[in-house]
Amino acid sequence: MNESWVVELAFAAMVLGTPLIFATIGEIMTERSGILNLGVQGMMLVGAVSAFWATYNTENLLLGLVAGILAGAALSVIHAFTSVTLRVNQIVSGLALTIFGTGLASFLGQAGSDPLVGNPAPVVFEPLFSGGITEWPIVGPLLFGHDLMVYVAWVVAGFASYYLFHTKMGLSLRAVGEDPASAEAAGINVSAVRYAYVMVGGALAGVGGAYYSLKIVPTWQDGPIGEAGWIAIALVILASWRPWRAVFAAYLFGAAGRVQFTLQTLGEPWSNIPSTILAMTPFVFAIIAMIVLTSGKRARFLGAPAALGIPYFREER
Amino acid sequence: MVDAANTETLAVELRNIDKSFYGVLANADVDFQLRHGEVHALLGENGAGKSTLCSILAGLYRPDSGEMFMDGEAAAFKSPKDALAAGVGMVYQHFRLVANLTVAENLALGHPDLGIRLDESRLQKEATELGERYGLGVDPSARIWQLSVGEQQRVEILKLLYRNAKVLILDEPTAVLTPQEAQALFKTMRQMAEEGRSVIFVSHKLHEVKQVSDRVTVLRGGRTVGGVDTADAEPRDLARMMVGRDLELPTRDPGAPPGEPVLSVTDLRVQSDRGLEAVRGMAFEVRAGEVVGISGVSGNGQRELAYGLVGLRTPTAGSVILGGNDVTSASVLQHIKQGIGYVPQSRLGMGLAPGLTTEENLALKAFRDPPYSKAGRLVQSAFRDEGAREIEEYDIRGVRPGLPIRLLSGGNLQKALVAREVELKPIVLIARSPTRGLDVGATEAVRNLILAERARGAGVLLISEDLDELLALSDRLLVIYEGEIVGRMPVEDASAERLGLLMAGQREEAPA
Amino acid sequence: MSTRRFIVEPRGLASPWLKLLVPIGSVFAALVVGAIFLALTGENPFSVYKEMAEAGFGTTRSVAETLLTATPLILTGVAAAIAFKMLVWNIGGEGQFLIGAVFASGVAIWLGDGAPAYVALPVVIVAGGIGGAFWASVSAVPRVYLGTNEIITTLMLNFIAINFTNYLIFGSTSPWRDPEGATFPQGRPIPDGSRIPEFFERLDYGIFIAIALAVLAWYLLGKTRWGFQVRIAGDSADTARYAGIGVSNKILGVFLLSGAYAGFAGGLFVAGPVGALDPRSLILGLGFTGIIVAALARLNPLAIIPVAVLMAALLNSGPSLQSIGVPTATVTMLQGAILLFAVAGEFLIQNRIRRPDKSPNTAPSSGEEASPA
Repeated sequence: MNESWVVELAFAAMVLGTPLIFATIGEIMTERSGILNLGVQGMMLVGAVSAFWATYNTENLLLGLVAGILAGAALSVIHAFTSVTLRVNQIVSGLALTIFGTGLASFLGQAGSDPLVGNPAPVVFEPLFSGGITEWPIVGPLLFGHDLMVYVAWVVAGFASYYLFHTKMGLSLRAVGEDPASAEAAGINVSAVRYAYVMVGGALAGVGGAYYSLKIVPTWQDGPIGEAGWIAIALVILASWRPWRAVFAAYLFGAAGRVQFTLQTLGEPWSNIPSTILAMTPFVFAIIAMIVLTSGKRARFLGAPAALGIPYFREER
Repeated sequence: MVDAANTETLAVELRNIDKSFYGVLANADVDFQLRHGEVHALLGENGAGKSTLCSILAGLYRPDSGEMFMDGEAAAFKSPKDALAAGVGMVYQHFRLVANLTVAENLALGHPDLGIRLDESRLQKEATELGERYGLGVDPSARIWQLSVGEQQRVEILKLLYRNAKVLILDEPTAVLTPQEAQALFKTMRQMAEEGRSVIFVSHKLHEVKQVSDRVTVLRGGRTVGGVDTADAEPRDLARMMVGRDLELPTRDPGAPPGEPVLSVTDLRVQSDRGLEAVRGMAFEVRAGEVVGISGVSGNGQRELAYGLVGLRTPTAGSVILGGNDVTSASVLQHIKQGIGYVPQSRLGMGLAPGLTTEENLALKAFRDPPYSKAGRLVQSAFRDEGAREIEEYDIRGVRPGLPIRLLSGGNLQKALVAREVELKPIVLIARSPTRGLDVGATEAVRNLILAERARGAGVLLISEDLDELLALSDRLLVIYEGEIVGRMPVEDASAERLGLLMAGQREEAPA
Repeated sequence: MSTRRFIVEPRGLASPWLKLLVPIGSVFAALVVGAIFLALTGENPFSVYKEMAEAGFGTTRSVAETLLTATPLILTGVAAAIAFKMLVWNIGGEGQFLIGAVFASGVAIWLGDGAPAYVALPVVIVAGGIGGAFWASVSAVPRVYLGTNEIITTLMLNFIAINFTNYLIFGSTSPWRDPEGATFPQGRPIPDGSRIPEFFERLDYGIFIAIALAVLAWYLLGKTRWGFQVRIAGDSADTARYAGIGVSNKILGVFLLSGAYAGFAGGLFVAGPVGALDPRSLILGLGFTGIIVAALARLNPLAIIPVAVLMAALLNSGPSLQSIGVPTATVTMLQGAILLFAVAGEFLIQNRIRRPDKSPNTAPSSGEEASPA
């Protein structure tokens, strides 16, 4: 059928975009509190290897997810400590954790007498529904043909969006990221808020990583997530720090790698577009968005939280 | 001391309040009484202790000793949150509003009584109602950065009313308002008082105090000087209470008569950071060999005047002629080359590079030329030798090799700063509050340096709030108020009363 | 008043001992962390570390290799240091390195076989610097003229550069691609005239060029009029403006210089051991490692030289680990841990911790007005 490649591509985009949704929304929450976490890549990787290891040994997906969450959160606590308590350079701290996390994940995958490398996951995320509705045209596979985590991602996005813009705690979070001094004056504990959301970001990054190792690339190997963590950082900007936009951005760029196969099937001239150029696209768009969105009036509505990346020093009494 | 004639409970009473910062006494044995339903003005010069007292009341600081009572019961606030819970709130000069959030969101922020869910429509309705009731109308869905300063101030006040504050403290609220907005604010204040709330109104402007307050308390040097009913208070008496003592006239050598004008300022207009006009058509001149002092309470345009004169901000109108050259729109570097020296108010924030050494700071403006650099290369020996000479000559103490200058004491920092400026042998030296916060020895040293410049034939413009300093050094005095010069006199004609009145906005009958 | 168990306050002047102790301590702490993970997975940390040390410095050949790897690291380290000192967060060294390599190899190929070495070589290296500066300008110009935050733009440009380099060889038939690479795409070897001569094993003169450039950076920042202005602007932008210094053009200058240094690294590397635009041999994370070197050397260009050598030894020890069955990722882990401890250690240099004393506040000699009256 002619349109089958569209559905196929869209389906793949949703699957590949799902871990990006988790990681991006996690980073949105972190950055909304004013902390820049460049360690997302490392946190996703430790999440991936931890989830794989847990599921490999217990054959239980839920435990794998939990392991991924804990691993991501644990690594992010270090970042919270250096950024919020020690107030040292957030950029360097994040980069350090990415390098460390990357090395650690690879190490854990290869270490020991019976390394994880090369082993397939005993259980992976399978589609929730089968038969019947999954065979409806277009809507069938796209809405009903997915595994649990795709739907969980939607729930997370919806919850994050509601939380951020319609609850008192979300308001406090936004205030902390915009103007921590005024937030503190209003009685909010800025440090506690930042710790909390850095860890939320790390936990969600861990979930994103787990989805890679337990679904997308279900045989453990080095670097299963590609550049996903970096793409997530880019997507935060493209999503203007809003959770629902992150879903669309993630689906759009999640397909970037997959698109190449589709282009092959379409033949000339589409198949001539190199995969490397496609892989560049999220980053190019992020830069353009950065430049356009963060200057001038638009920045106020669509730009970064004003206090992003600036360490907060509480005034002494 | 409780007013025996008053039988009703006081809204707030402070007794024997002491507060020091780093050994400097900001409030000493202060008593203060606030009644229900009154607008109470707190009057005093800068440094008199008004802001400190208010901050204690608002829970920002804890007093070192003394007692506080609210409605007759002992009270102690550990934080602004505590104070607000007890019904005391303050509108600071620097607003605590989150710029990117809406008015309604700012009202809701940190509010203890709101539920988990933000009911935006309810918030907006309540904000609108509150605004209408008190004449503080603002669009609740507007973001703070979209509002004018006057509107932002309304939001700050609404915040307090939304928490049902019974005591509201406004710190110099009219500093950022137009005259019309100020009138509207006074109306609001009176309305709040009529409801039974109490308003503390910090100000240095006598006409406002007379207009809106029921009672006035004057602070000077950290102590209460007097508390009177406004109706009974004469501006002259208030001014004298504010400024206090009979100021000593200087006993310095009058020196040679001043020469030609080295700085001529005509119809100068300079904008503030917010784009409002802070210097509104000032004209004066400074002649060689004289010290012209500009006195005034801070916030009346002094900063913008200084910036406009040295090239840090381009004036929107008028001209600045320096030694015969028009430097009105010249760059900072050109100003320096044409011979202007500037001792800014912020030592470590502007005048000195805190992380660099003393020698490097002493060369901050001269480094482009020999002996400090040759052909783009720095000559380290020049830094060392010139530095050593100046450190010796100007008695800058505490210097060690490689030590960042920020570790020096205040007096030595200022000596270094002033030393650097006078070494350039400027034609005109502009100094803002040069001896503020310095001990006796350093004050003496800096004053002598200024007088030495005067003797050398430089023209000195001394911008200060310290009347003692101004009287000790100036030949002539100008008084600045709301961006204009409202008084001119030779120093012999100056008196505490006269200066106090001018600084507080009371114009003199005859043109100066 | 709430009593705290200890007080953290800014330290006045850190002693030189402390400034040396923290970097050394960072390495040591990282080794401890690494040892824990090694032990947990059944390895003997001591024998692993011994193996690594031997791989880095054991034989004269390995010393040559270490110095060879140190060459680009010195330059990417200096690149990061120059920028960070000025509070310009250029984390795009990786991309600037690669584009420098692209420019350098491109010019070399274009010059062809005919150009004599004394012409070709300087031109090629300079081309590398221009490439790096050009790549940096994509972030620098928006930063200076639009205030666009450079953290994200430089970061993103890394991945664009990586993909672009791959594109040149794997995704297209560009002039960089070897026309004779029949079975597998590879970079076209650059002419001999543009290769840096070796003098000992594989070690080439590039190491001297790198050291010279590092010394030049130290000189520029510390001994010239321009460097003085840069230091003032990096210390306090307001003070710089007050002194008549143009802050924007200093930022631009530093940013471009930083990119140029990363580009020099790429140029030296491609004209040195790699000899062609070979993505697999060039995309090694040398730009990011440079940040680690800069942080450990506390942004001092001269200190970067020995630190780069140390880091190079660490990097080179990876393959030898494989031969004893230990994951090469150990090296990456140690690098990350070193950087983490180095940046956290900076806290100890800037602040000190002490018990609160009973006496009233002593003035922290700041000179600013103490009381907000």
